[in-house]
Amino acid sequence: MTDYSEYVGRATSNSVVVIERGPVANFARALKSEESYFYNVKDAQDRGLRGIPALPTFPFVMEHWGLFAELQPEEKLSGNPVIEVLGPLMANGGLILHGEQAFEFERPLVSGDVLEGKGQVVECYQKESNGHVMTFVVTETVWSDFNTKEKVVTSRSNVIHRA
Amino acid sequence: MSDIIKFADAEVGSEAPVLTHMLGRTDLVIYAGASGDFNPMHTDEVVATSVGQPSVFGHGMFSMGILGTALTGWVGIENIKSFGVRFTKQTWPGEVLSTNIKVTSIDQVGNKTIVSLDCSLMNQDGQVKVQGTATAWRC
Repeated sequence: MTDYSEYVGRATSNSVVVIERGPVANFARALKSEESYFYNVKDAQDRGLRGIPALPTFPFVMEHWGLFAELQPEEKLSGNPVIEVLGPLMANGGLILHGEQAFEFERPLVSGDVLEGKGQVVECYQKESNGHVMTFVVTETVWSDFNTKEKVVTSRSNVIHRA
Repeated sequence: MSDIIKFADAEVGSEAPVLTHMLGRTDLVIYAGASGDFNPMHTDEVVATSVGQPSVFGHGMFSMGILGTALTGWVGIENIKSFGVRFTKQTWPGEVLSTNIKVTSIDQVGNKTIVSLDCSLMNQDGQVKVQGTATAWRC
């Protein structure tokens, strides 16, 4: 068993994303939602929302759509601790599994939001299960409103390497 | 089939309307485009079978997402406080997936009410694909 405790607290991401109506509505369509407030902004406003809301799992994918280059922080992270842990393990084979995923919301994400995310490793450890060495990397990203600095959503992911 | 219960009237043991969907390969292509997750295991049968998989299989986050759609449809997007799952099994094209969402407790927090729910997605044989919990505010 390897001691990975030095990775806890290491930064995994530092980014700014823009939430746009098209990607959010398209995501709702891909996940078969028929709620009119994903497609008609008047229906969203009738619920007291400032824009078209995003389904609860959108924070997992929003960096794909909203990571505009000119908005990114100038300060770059040195290295990616998740890759530093999993890369050498994968070089010897095995499987990467998404074990768990969780979101904690202060409010829904809506189109027009600009969010600032800071991620870090919160747990990193190995254990043996059914003869396999399992390596767990748990990361947590806190997304806050870029303008007000108020917390919006925390996303927590547990990624597992099974040797 | 029981009557549909509104979230506002739900009690411990009440269940959300079930969302049922037969998983097709096109669903996975659409989700890949909408999410940006283009791992070929989910969209490219040639690559998936070349590494020993019987076919392409669903994104875990598609399973969680379908469960999230059912949760959102019942409680309302503005009321979701938390939503978390554990991924237990892969999903396969042709499977009929259905959501199960049930109230486990209702608690008063100050002048607000918080509803706790158990959530899962399973196939037509009752095999659980993702399992988790959610909490939602209720006025």
